[in-house]
Amino acid sequence: MYLGISCYNHESAAALIDNNGNLINYYREESLSRVKSDKSFPKRSIKKIFEENSLNTENIRSICFYEKPLSAFLIPLKTALKHIPKSLDLISNQFRNFDKSSLSCYLDISRSFPGLENKILYVDHHLSHTLTALVYSQKKNNLCSLVVDGFGDRSTTSISFVNSPYEINELWSCDYPVSLGLFYSAITDFLGFQVNEGEFKVMGLASYGNSNSKISKKVSKLLYWDDKYKKIQLNMDFFDYHVSLENSFSPKLKSLIGEPRNPFLPLKLNDKNFQHYADIAAGAQEAIINILLNLFEYSYQITGSRNFLFSGGVAMNSASIEKIAKLPFIDEIIIPPSPGDAGSAIGAAYYSFLKCNKNFSSKIVLPKLFPSIYSYNNQKKLTKKIISRNFEKISDRMDESYKKVGELISSGEVIGISVGNSETGPRALGNRSLICDGSNHDAVNFLNTSIKNRSPFRPTAPCMQLNIAKKYYELQPALMQAYKSMGATCRCKNGTNSNSFPTSHVDKTARIQIVEKDTILNDLLEILKKYDIEILANSSLNLSGDPTCFDLIDGLMVCARSPLRYILTDFGLFKSKY
Amino acid sequence: MKNNSNYLNVMLETASAEFGSALEMLAACKTSVKDTFAFGYFEHSKDEYNHTKTFLSILSKAARMMPADIARKYRFNSISLFSKGYLSKNGYLIETMKLKDFIAYVYTNELLAKESFEGILKLVKNNYEDTNAIKNIMNDELRHHGFAKEHFLKYYPKLQPWQLKYYKAKETAKNRFRRIYDFNLKLLGKLLNPLYILLGYFGVQIISLINTSNLSRTGRNLMDLKSNSIL
Repeated sequence: MYLGISCYNHESAAALIDNNGNLINYYREESLSRVKSDKSFPKRSIKKIFEENSLNTENIRSICFYEKPLSAFLIPLKTALKHIPKSLDLISNQFRNFDKSSLSCYLDISRSFPGLENKILYVDHHLSHTLTALVYSQKKNNLCSLVVDGFGDRSTTSISFVNSPYEINELWSCDYPVSLGLFYSAITDFLGFQVNEGEFKVMGLASYGNSNSKISKKVSKLLYWDDKYKKIQLNMDFFDYHVSLENSFSPKLKSLIGEPRNPFLPLKLNDKNFQHYADIAAGAQEAIINILLNLFEYSYQITGSRNFLFSGGVAMNSASIEKIAKLPFIDEIIIPPSPGDAGSAIGAAYYSFLKCNKNFSSKIVLPKLFPSIYSYNNQKKLTKKIISRNFEKISDRMDESYKKVGELISSGEVIGISVGNSETGPRALGNRSLICDGSNHDAVNFLNTSIKNRSPFRPTAPCMQLNIAKKYYELQPALMQAYKSMGATCRCKNGTNSNSFPTSHVDKTARIQIVEKDTILNDLLEILKKYDIEILANSSLNLSGDPTCFDLIDGLMVCARSPLRYILTDFGLFKSKY
Repeated sequence: MKNNSNYLNVMLETASAEFGSALEMLAACKTSVKDTFAFGYFEHSKDEYNHTKTFLSILSKAARMMPADIARKYRFNSISLFSKGYLSKNGYLIETMKLKDFIAYVYTNELLAKESFEGILKLVKNNYEDTNAIKNIMNDELRHHGFAKEHFLKYYPKLQPWQLKYYKAKETAKNRFRRIYDFNLKLLGKLLNPLYILLGYFGVQIISLINTSNLSRTGRNLMDLKSNSIL
């Protein structure tokens, strides 16, 4: 068995790959600790993997850490050195907190799981991203891997050619501090949203902006592709993330585009400043799309490959993917369900496997979309009194529960689902979801605002079967795999009423999910046919600021803290009395 | 402005403490041995989540009146609960304490929390709505304290009333020490900051001697990089 872990910088996670190279278990630490974006050493995740698979440290052949710790420590320091005295606080903070950085990986492993420290491997950060995407690709050779994130252990963007899983040659890279991910995060911060959480909001807000407006142009000009030197250029005078502890943008950015937004002021569609902030978001989004288009084009030039692996945090920018997929030289883009750092634990585990097995087996099966093993038996006993006191049993037979869910959805209800194993990535794909009729404006609005308290400019994703997706949306053949995990948006089809669906965004796009067979959502969509419901609105089962639910207790807590009335569980359908 | 900052800080810190309690209770719920215990912890956790929401709402109302540069410093972020000490890196209390001590902890801390809210009540005295919300929270805290006491007496009947008093005295002292420790830590941080900066300056000079240009991996097979190297 082979373990991979990611931690200390963004969300931490642990993945387990078996002796045949198949992903068999994966947990994000936030799911278990209930602290959103938890980046601490994934002690709970590793422990849970051991428990669920009856393993101990002796069963693990190697454990791989997702980056080279010393490089990750040194490179930001060397950059900060060039900006002394401005960067002195950042430098002293780096030294004072070295025990919270990747450098403490060895100590944390040896303290929590004695014996495992002798089996540690370290993989290049961008290689772990590449391998994560490779796990999800049917094709294992002649691929181009594009990794775009905030900062890895040396570069921020890279292009590699995957000749085989054992030969992955890096052909180009972009050095820190020039970073697409950190640029977008700085704009996120400027717009008053939480860094590493609010980037989705910027993406949603951007659709309301005018990318030809003056302010938008000012932002988009800060980041550009230098075609002569084949380099990404970012005007660092406007950003401070590489020299300051507290500020990601510099005072110069304020003089360029005005005061940052007060994060506590609600951002409503008709507010006087709404357009200003939307234009700033549109400028950032435009810059990202332009750079990505150039990067894909350059990748094709230097690798000649028409099949792409796209990973790193920026690959979660689903709104940009649709335009990229239209490039004529692209046959396929594989985006893993969790393209960010949490998902790179899978790549790290895969690296462990490859390093210990020189004969690669092509029989490795693609990982499931729900790899986080969850056993509900204990929870059934534990929740007995919670349910008997605060919930009414509607049905305890699953087939009957599904039918009842169909009826409730058709009457405009929102249903929470907490059934089976949970999802890999940040997007709920049906097992930890809140769903309702995707054509019912009132139900979608209730889900979005009353239950989830989401910003009004963030649409809810629609999910449907393939034939329905073809009917309403312009699907890109290159993105068929990404649609299964809500990895890309697509355009509403002209001549259909999909524009007016409550799940469609203002720019006439939707972040669709095409459901796979043998999934809960597919079964429900089958039942809903008799009610003429073809599309479900699907959002993650959680409340704003919390991680997606992991177990039944988390799901019941959502009912207790919100107006959600129904929850479908592994042992029936319940109605909340809260 | 200083008073306003203090007000925002109190609301943010209280929200953080309440959120930390919500997570502690949720963890206790998930590790319970009986469904009746799980029910109690679940309800307690739900209340603490709701308290967090109340304090964040009070914070939000005040912070939106402040300049953006100041307001930005008071954003609630659940990861900061670790660095602020509301959650321990070593695990939840239920994972690190004996059950008896955990119940005693809840018993005393709910009472102490209620007392500290009396101070907050003075801060919001001009706002009828916020005053009422905090009074409701204080009632909740007293109820939680009562449940913990009931549980304590039911499952540990041999405990004498003086032992409960002892637990309270111990927790009160711990809280005071925690505050002194926190104050000293901040003071030391300020006093030693020039030294840290100096050390950082020299440290980075040494680092500058390390040649990182050979870290460039362009043209290399990434799978051939040494897997035991941290560089």
